[in-house]
Amino acid sequence: MDFDALISGLDRHTLDGITRGSIYALVALGYTMVYGVMKLINFAHSEVFMVGTWAVLGVYTVLGVGAGESLGIVIAATLLALVGAMVASAGTALAVERIAYRPLRKKGAPPLIFLITGIGCSMVLVELFGQVFEVFFGPPFGRVTVNIPSVLETKELFTIPGIDLTITNTRVIIIVGAVLMMLALDTFVNKSRLGRGVRAVAQDPDTASLMGVNQNRVIMLVFVLGGAMAGVAALLYTIQYDITKFDIGFIIGLKAFTAAVLGGIGNLRGALVGGLLLGIAEVYASTIWSSEWANVTAFVVLVVVLMFRPTGLLGESLGKARA
Amino acid sequence: MSQIFDTIRGFSIRDRIAQAPNWARKVGMLLVIAFAFYLPFLNILPFAYVRTDLTSRGSDWASVLFLVVVYMIVAVGLNVVIGFAGLLDLGYVGFYALGAYSIALFGSPSSPVVEALQNRFGLSETWAVPFAMCIPIAIAMSLIAGVILGAPTLRLRGDYLAIVTLGFGEIIRITARNLDNVTNGATGITNVPTPPGPETDGRAFFNTVDAERWYWLALTILIIIIWLAFRLEHSRVGRAWLAIREDEDAAAIMGVAAFKFKLWAFAIGASVGGLAGLLFGSKQQYVEPNAFMVNLSFLFVAMVVIGGSGNIYGVLLGAFLLTYLPERFREFQEWRPFAFGVALVVVMILRPQGLVPSRRRAREFEDRKVEAEEAAADV
Amino acid sequence: MIRSSKTWQVAAMASVAGLVLSACGTTDTDGGGDASGEDCNFKIGVMGALSGANASIVLPSVDGAELALNQWENDECEVTLEKFDTEGDPAKATPVATQIAGDDTFIGVIGGAFSGETRATKSIYNDAGVTMVSQSATATDLTQEDPVEVFHRLVPYDDYQGAAIANYLTDEVGASKVFVVDNSEAYGEPLADRVEETLGDAMVQRDKTEVGQTDFAPTISKMESAEPDAIFYGGYIAEAAPLLKQIRDAGIEAPFVGGDGLYGADFGNAVGAAGEGAVVMCPCAPIEEDSTFAADYEEEFGSAPGAYAAEGYDAMSVFLAALDDGARTREDVEAFVDDYTGEGLSKEIAFDENGDVPQENVSYWAYKNEGGTLVPEVEVTP
Repeated sequence: MDFDALISGLDRHTLDGITRGSIYALVALGYTMVYGVMKLINFAHSEVFMVGTWAVLGVYTVLGVGAGESLGIVIAATLLALVGAMVASAGTALAVERIAYRPLRKKGAPPLIFLITGIGCSMVLVELFGQVFEVFFGPPFGRVTVNIPSVLETKELFTIPGIDLTITNTRVIIIVGAVLMMLALDTFVNKSRLGRGVRAVAQDPDTASLMGVNQNRVIMLVFVLGGAMAGVAALLYTIQYDITKFDIGFIIGLKAFTAAVLGGIGNLRGALVGGLLLGIAEVYASTIWSSEWANVTAFVVLVVVLMFRPTGLLGESLGKARA
Repeated sequence: MSQIFDTIRGFSIRDRIAQAPNWARKVGMLLVIAFAFYLPFLNILPFAYVRTDLTSRGSDWASVLFLVVVYMIVAVGLNVVIGFAGLLDLGYVGFYALGAYSIALFGSPSSPVVEALQNRFGLSETWAVPFAMCIPIAIAMSLIAGVILGAPTLRLRGDYLAIVTLGFGEIIRITARNLDNVTNGATGITNVPTPPGPETDGRAFFNTVDAERWYWLALTILIIIIWLAFRLEHSRVGRAWLAIREDEDAAAIMGVAAFKFKLWAFAIGASVGGLAGLLFGSKQQYVEPNAFMVNLSFLFVAMVVIGGSGNIYGVLLGAFLLTYLPERFREFQEWRPFAFGVALVVVMILRPQGLVPSRRRAREFEDRKVEAEEAAADV
Repeated sequence: MIRSSKTWQVAAMASVAGLVLSACGTTDTDGGGDASGEDCNFKIGVMGALSGANASIVLPSVDGAELALNQWENDECEVTLEKFDTEGDPAKATPVATQIAGDDTFIGVIGGAFSGETRATKSIYNDAGVTMVSQSATATDLTQEDPVEVFHRLVPYDDYQGAAIANYLTDEVGASKVFVVDNSEAYGEPLADRVEETLGDAMVQRDKTEVGQTDFAPTISKMESAEPDAIFYGGYIAEAAPLLKQIRDAGIEAPFVGGDGLYGADFGNAVGAAGEGAVVMCPCAPIEEDSTFAADYEEEFGSAPGAYAAEGYDAMSVFLAALDDGARTREDVEAFVDDYTGEGLSKEIAFDENGDVPQENVSYWAYKNEGGTLVPEVEVTP
């Protein structure tokens, strides 16, 4: 128990927590959007994120970039990787919807069945990268940890005077990137025509259909958007941690899902709040005790919050958001 | 593909059984049970092909059967929660772990808890809580855990319950791993006691080599639990669950205390899970936290759903298939998880109501299907 | 698509009948378990994580064992190596062990590769009298607290390793403020405990992390305030890679030292540029120059020998030597292995009464990651 360490470096730990939580929040968006529209936990979403990290590696490999490139190349490569990851993740999400969920939707299967096909899809995707691709293409696929070159190297940008807090470029990119994406998505859902369709289906699918909203198209859109956000998260993740592996999606997905529920599943801003809160709680707990208690803390926070606010901090309301 | 299922349905085994005279059903049941007990020695071609030890790279047939039966117990217990009461529990492995840890913590002479008791009361170094006492402890611990988890969370809606229970399973595992001076941490506890029995061939009756004895023990417990589960399904409690599952609000208006009965389901399910964990830990004679990863919870839920949630025969089949097939096809080694994933998706798409659906559930399902078709027609 | 359900019924019946008939043709349902002692027809099992995240630490030793078998020359005997995948999971290892124990043609087992599965299975093998020679299970209790007759291992246990690592840190690195991190698992935690014990005051702080963790910010900030002059990590490659990267990103330049969990051909690939100069400690001696092992191995399996390849080779060699010596039963093999002494690839092999290699025979080495490959740096003793 080391509360002194927490108090003395509170600013630093909070920043660490926000960094960690930003990635949770971006992945949580995918869970939240799908849930908001379909009332369904997309268990394969963690693997949608995982595919994104591989796409980043793929783009870097194709471009042949590594550490220490000039600024122009770094920016270009990173943007290309961003596009690659977003496309790959969105594509994966769409494929999951097509293969595992749409046939069930047609049959009107109960939600539990979607859960099992989601888990099945998740296993298939994990095994594709951990086993199948290795057999067909060899390394870097397989069950080992793979390094992703730090094209975008970590550099200190500035130090906040007074509290002596060093800000690095990667931190700025992660936090700003996450918040920007969140704002963009929020605006899209609330302001655009398509977004109105999403909200309409989330509120009342039958009425939305009667009003001429194509439900299938809205669902596809939701998967694509959620997938793209997971792609962004994948890029930010690789910038920060430099690795990928066939099974990295699982833990991030678990946390992101927890974050989504914490904030109020179905609520976009809730995903942000939940992600950040979860990240901060974990870092605080890791500082006071050690990281071995971080996951327990995360789940305890979840249970406590749900006991007092049974629909999460901000409540569930993709449909109701500024309706 | 679906025609195959139609064909099977055409045989309508269930109707024939229902029409058969009472004595025939009883004899049939006894035959099935006798066959199950004989299974470890099944070695007549071509039926012997079900064995998992045909190649020298296989795994011991009786040990596999034991694991299958333990998972069947788990599936029957989880079916009470998911199938009967309609609550999604993704943390069932937590109760399973509690059962295994109860017997390890109290029954093993090398567990820190027993050592503390020895020191406190000046007992000998070989003293530990006897096996027979560990059974009520295990059941009580998982039952209490079920109530502690259920009481605050059962008011939550379905999907929230899923993540909270999932978190609960993880909390149990991580706590067991971190509390080094209570549970030996990640190292785990050895010398977990086995049931008492007469000594045969210079070994304890329940030893590590003769796995078929463990299988018979587990099978006996399974049969008792199945019988209890059937009684439960048709009891007042069972009917209350059904009412809650189909329409909680309507049930509440009719005076069914939803919360109370949900808590019952949770507690009953938890204690069955604990009992299965106890069997597992005792056979293994070694309990360590990594045996209770969250994936196991998913596997348990998959057994119930694939088999046919709500139908006891269905979940037994689900548990059998999902445990047996990966062991039977060991030669495909690393391809098994991939095949498993594909199978989950394919089976669920072709047969969303499960392999052996509960009749009641199938009808609920048909309702939804009609609704879905109507909705689709509207688009 | 066949529309009629009648047609399907016929087809199903026909295929079932076909299966039954074809099944009748073959016999042997006894796991091939006919004991054939006189013919000297034997099997040796190897069990460990052949798939899953940690397979890369186990597979090279299996290949090493296979190489030893391929190079063995004996006209009398026919030996096959049977590989059993346990995924490193004790629950999956017990049916495997029971299977091996029940099949008399198995005269020995190489493994368990990890300590957990070894703990779960050693009493099964002991009951059946199957000799075990482990290439990589290092938990102290396996031989020191709870020894069984049949268990032998070619690697020193955690106490030894921890002391050796601590000595390396204080003597070779010259560290007086070591930051010790572990992965809270059965492998990393006891090892870090031993390192901590031996370091004593030379350890500045201890932190625990999780398997599967990628964000180590809390650990990094603890390091920043502790200002260590060396860092020890007890854990596996998957977590070491992001940990190292974040340590270096934070501007902490203290030497990074890991245990044998990091020893593997994929270490350099996983850690990338941040891992340059990182040290991995391993009870595996560099293979001597004049040995053809590395070349043979590479020819056979297409890659340089990885973690515990030499130990796998040695374990198999011990069993084969027993057969050369005329051992034909499990008891013979057990008696032979107990008294075995010989020059192995990895070390001078002998087993004490607990089944450990005597400490004076063990060599413990520090390997430095240079440009993605692990290069032997210096030999250390506890």
